Amino acid sequence: MRIWRALRATALGLLVTGFLGCAAGCADGGDRHAAVADAALRLLTAVRDGAGGAACAVLAPETAAEVAQTAGKGCADAILEEDLPTPAAVTRVDVYGQWGRVVLANDTMFLAVFPGGWRVVAAGCHSQGQRPYDCTVHGG
Amino acid sequence: MSARRFIRENSLGLVFGLLFLIALAGQAIAGHADFNQQQVTDGLQPISFGRYVTSADFGVDVAENWQSEYLQFFLYIVLTVWLLQKGSPESKSLDDAGLESDEKQRVGRYARADSPAWARRAGWRRWMLSNSLGLVMGGIFVLSWLAQSIAGAAAFNERQLSQLQAPVSWAVYISEPDFWNRTLQNWQSELLAVASMAVLAIYLRQRGSPESKPVGAAHTSTGVEG
Repeated sequence: MRIWRALRATALGLLVTGFLGCAAGCADGGDRHAAVADAALRLLTAVRDGAGGAACAVLAPETAAEVAQTAGKGCADAILEEDLPTPAAVTRVDVYGQWGRVVLANDTMFLAVFPGGWRVVAAGCHSQGQRPYDCTVHGG
Repeated sequence: MSARRFIRENSLGLVFGLLFLIALAGQAIAGHADFNQQQVTDGLQPISFGRYVTSADFGVDVAENWQSEYLQFFLYIVLTVWLLQKGSPESKSLDDAGLESDEKQRVGRYARADSPAWARRAGWRRWMLSNSLGLVMGGIFVLSWLAQSIAGAAAFNERQLSQLQAPVSWAVYISEPDFWNRTLQNWQSELLAVASMAVLAIYLRQRGSPESKPVGAAHTSTGVEG
């Protein structure tokens, strides 16, 4: 029957669309991994080069505010005084939805998506097992 | 066949299919608003509707409900082959438990002219047809549960990262309380619904419904549908 065939095709189409949609969204692609790693390295590179303004531009708004408030000076000056490592090889990148983690040979960083793209929420982080990472720079 | 006749003769499947799509769309809209509310609270950027409906958050919320519904129907279809409930229209007659005779099931030489072709065939074809409903419902359950575990792991890891914690692998996630809490909270409600339907239908009636005994049927009559 023609109507049944059309309905079956529609149902199958919806199912395939759903699975492909999830495949695209659930498993975050390589482009996002690269963007997260790039943002993380931009922060460390800017700090190494003494470009405080550029470093703060990669920080999440709350993180930049926290850095400035804690040091009692502008973010561009304060970020250079933080004990952040020099850029190193990226050993692992995890991206899930709106959040990402970049593990470097000498640091771990957490990033999130903001209107301007990926921004560093926390850097200079060290694992504490089951508890949240202890981070030199973080917001909130 | 006229469209009106087609709709009338298939109204059960069509209405439930339509209600499903409306409910799924409603879930997507409400879920998107809820997700973005949390994003704004956390000082993050709201995400588009398209991004939300392909996200792990939406995926796990949909899949965890699908798996439990298909598990419910799978168990109901398979267990009612052997399990009985005296007085319930959901149960077979008390002396019919089991796979029943070929004659009663109209297979092999008892197949009729209008029986499906594989009912007449011996071997794996007949076995497949004889168990196709349970196999498909059970298969969709397994796939939905797998989808729940994959999307659930991604949603769990997004939350982990937002709390500055390390993500976990899929193998670790399926031993996490989050996975089993999502799974079991759905299972318990489905199992309660089946148990109450099987028992309440002994004493209660819904005139005209094939899920009920005829209004005047005795409470003790089993396997009688209205």
